[in-house]
Amino acid sequence: MPKVTINDRTVEVEAGTNLVDAAMKVGVQIPHYCYHPRLSVVGQCRMCLVKIEGMPKLQAGCSTPVVKDGMVVRTDVPEVAEAQKGMMEFFLLNHPLDCPICDQAGECGLQDYSFKHGVAYSRFQYEDKRTYPGRERIPLGANVLLNMNRCIQCTRCVRFTQEVTKTAELGFFNRGARTEIGTFPGKELNNDLATCVVDICPVGALTSTRFRFAERVFYLDKKPSLCTGCEVGCNITVEHRRGSIKRYKPRFNVDVNDYWMCDYGRSTFELYKTTPRLVTPRVRAEGGNGHSPVTPTSWKDALDAVARRLRGNQETVAFLGSGFLTTEEAYLFGQLADLAGSPHRSVPVDLGDPHTIPRHGQPPISGREAAPNRRGAELAGLAPGIADGKAMTGELLTSDELVHGDGASRCSALVVCDSYFSRAAYDPAVVERLRKAKFLVVFGWADSPLAQAADVALPVATHTEKEGTFVNVEHRVQRFDRAFPAQGQVRPGVEVLSDLLSRFDAKWANLSAGAVFDRLAATVPAFAGLSWHTLPATGAPLHLAGVPGDAIAAETAPGTGIE
Amino acid sequence: MAAFEPVLTRNVGKPEALSVRGYRQGGGYEGLAKSLKMEPDAVIEEVKKSGLRGRGGAGFSAGLKWSFIPKGKDKPKYLVCNADESEPGTFKDRLLMEHDPHQLIEGCAICCWAVSAATCYIYIRGEYTQAAATLERALKEAYEQGILGDSVMGSGFKLDMYVHRGAGAYICGEETGMLESLEGKRGQPRVKPPFPAVVGAFGSPTVINNVETLCNVPHIIVRGADWYKGIGTDERNTGPKLYAISGHVERPGTYEYPIGVTFRELLDGAGGMWKGRTLKAFIPGGASAPILKADQIDIKMDFDTVAKAGSMLGSAAVIVMDETTCMVRSVARLSKFFNHESCGQCTPCREGTNWMELVLKRLEHGEGTERDAQLLLSICKNIGGNSLCALGDAAIGPVKSLVDRFPEEIHQHVRDRACPFPKQRYFSNGA
Repeated sequence: MPKVTINDRTVEVEAGTNLVDAAMKVGVQIPHYCYHPRLSVVGQCRMCLVKIEGMPKLQAGCSTPVVKDGMVVRTDVPEVAEAQKGMMEFFLLNHPLDCPICDQAGECGLQDYSFKHGVAYSRFQYEDKRTYPGRERIPLGANVLLNMNRCIQCTRCVRFTQEVTKTAELGFFNRGARTEIGTFPGKELNNDLATCVVDICPVGALTSTRFRFAERVFYLDKKPSLCTGCEVGCNITVEHRRGSIKRYKPRFNVDVNDYWMCDYGRSTFELYKTTPRLVTPRVRAEGGNGHSPVTPTSWKDALDAVARRLRGNQETVAFLGSGFLTTEEAYLFGQLADLAGSPHRSVPVDLGDPHTIPRHGQPPISGREAAPNRRGAELAGLAPGIADGKAMTGELLTSDELVHGDGASRCSALVVCDSYFSRAAYDPAVVERLRKAKFLVVFGWADSPLAQAADVALPVATHTEKEGTFVNVEHRVQRFDRAFPAQGQVRPGVEVLSDLLSRFDAKWANLSAGAVFDRLAATVPAFAGLSWHTLPATGAPLHLAGVPGDAIAAETAPGTGIE
Repeated sequence: MAAFEPVLTRNVGKPEALSVRGYRQGGGYEGLAKSLKMEPDAVIEEVKKSGLRGRGGAGFSAGLKWSFIPKGKDKPKYLVCNADESEPGTFKDRLLMEHDPHQLIEGCAICCWAVSAATCYIYIRGEYTQAAATLERALKEAYEQGILGDSVMGSGFKLDMYVHRGAGAYICGEETGMLESLEGKRGQPRVKPPFPAVVGAFGSPTVINNVETLCNVPHIIVRGADWYKGIGTDERNTGPKLYAISGHVERPGTYEYPIGVTFRELLDGAGGMWKGRTLKAFIPGGASAPILKADQIDIKMDFDTVAKAGSMLGSAAVIVMDETTCMVRSVARLSKFFNHESCGQCTPCREGTNWMELVLKRLEHGEGTERDAQLLLSICKNIGGNSLCALGDAAIGPVKSLVDRFPEEIHQHVRDRACPFPKQRYFSNGA
């Protein structure tokens, strides 16, 4: 592999690597706007100019590949700084400088590079700025708005629609200083990944209608998390202010979602805001055949009530799992089921629209299930017909039986692990069927009709309020952080379950998600060798030898949707 | 000028040369016939030896350019003839195409044989309707006469030639912008490298030559490189050259001289200054060439001498300006052209050409400041060498020469708060 020397630091790179990427390897940042690792190189912003020994002119770093040994590059010489200063001046000539009302302010390429490479005064004093009257807020599609005045014509968005989504809605129109971005006649920017153009836009020209004016970005707290929109498990950043989520943004993971995420995924946090929350534990008074009033109660009383019922129960106890549980919660529910001696556990499959993310050098990843972690929940202990690690035979109450049949009427106790286990939780007929259980316990964050019908309703955290792992469609286990703490009496599921299990056995007391994951890794073969603290940021593939084939995964094999 | 027999323009004014028969009577297609009997490499060698340099502006050795085309048959090869002559002041190729289309076809065919290209596109400026029609007619006849098509002059060499009309963008005269346009895309230059000789039209090796360059080729083949080298100033500046003279002269037009004729001879040939006025300045090589002052009147008009004088021969479009010319206004008008024609792709050219025009317009209207000269130089410095293609460099040529060579005129505009020259309409809209 050829060696290249950048600012006296030598690095060996793969032949063909461009200088922007090569410099990154030695910790030298070459400023750039139009270059993006997943888009074709056009070399047109001219911000990445560098000095190469032996070349008379400065060269664009993005379009200069390292092909053979001995290239000597400098980015810290005065002529490069001069050129960068000149480019910054050009960029800002006709830019409206409306940062105070611009959504991008705080994460803007123009702001950042102006501070680093620009000058603090303007020589453009006597002329009028070029404007695009009437093009200040053009909806390109349902989710993206264009302000042409702020555009720096880097064409990242155009190339994104041409090369990544291959839908080519956007084009470069007009020429010279009048050049503008726009949709082709009769086309709208409404592909599944449309909002990604907002992410890759280095300035405030493209803004998201969903996030527009929602919050100044410098007030946002950002935490790495996962999208719960489907089983792909896109890596995201949850951006919130004091617990109020403002947006999800994709987080780079070359094995999952690359740099992208779909517009549907971005919208999923709105569910947390629009759905009424379960805020206190509630217990229904004894007697009255399920029609007694429910009253808010303390966690202690509520968990005592559940423990009493499960311990004293020698009849049928069923567990209706959920693909929204973290692997750790599912594991603890599995333990609970073991203690209750119940083989009746299952995770419902909720098929929705497919969501497909193109990846670099790999086939696209596609998810059809609406829940992020059905696989993890099943592997961790909620697979049907397994109790205490041993397969059980006989009639099993599966999720199908419970949700669509009259299985619940045969239950002396039914534990619904998530009040929003799927959209079916909002179906009155389903609620009525599940209510036929003699004793109905519902965990969950949503105060769904099902939670309201429960004998014991337990408020647990949403996925942004807890930490844990999800197993995605390709059986990759990925960890996510808590973005912000749950409010009031709401507690993370692991904490609640650990509390509940400790009523049966003291060894379960005071467990964190990490401790649960490590126990899970020690007992479940698929997770063998993994540990909470060493799990890579990009996740790890599970060992699936010996795990039965996955019918749903085969059915939703990549290749659907965007090609 | 001692009797110089025109080479490239010998058929100008002879309508019979528009037909294959008439062209052949004047010795036409002999060069093609001769080269088909030569090895392709020998043709390239002959052209290299002749010292023929590209007539489009850059002055790069044509033979060398051809030799960059990789051998081998894994990819088709193309010749694209650059007939997108759009630089203000340039109208030499038009003459060749309208009066002697077969000379161009022959030159193209020889080049295709030399680089083993089976397809040739003549990318012609959209406004050249008559030239395009003439070429189309000539092509049709050439096909009928077996000069083009499945077997070029019975040699078995297959060659197709097409006329492709542009849509009126200067930037499509830039070689990679032309290729994009030819491929049906937005005409904007590509990042180089890779150069067209490796990745050109449709991803294949491509030679791109100017009309006049290719018109020289048949004569080199027929009369030999040594004869060709005998014309011109020295080893590096050889052959006949067309000069398109416009501006304040009595008889503007296209004139053929051996390369290296002095500007004074050119001027005299064109009938001298208009109305006997005095020469103030001239542009030696089209709108992008820095302006020279009258004291350079005895300059030899070849590539190297003009470059040494701080300008460039470019396409040899000579624009002559007399003492009534306001240099600020002239350069402002040139800047307007480059601003209008910038493709908008790269930052320095898109923003810089626009800014320069605004500053110059302001100066011309008497609203300039003493700092503007320095400002213009600084903008030129930020554009120069930093743009994606040569248009940025082209745009700064006249501006830099204005500041360097006519500073007193800028100063006068600022001091008087008005243009000191008689009022003429500056922009077409009267502004």
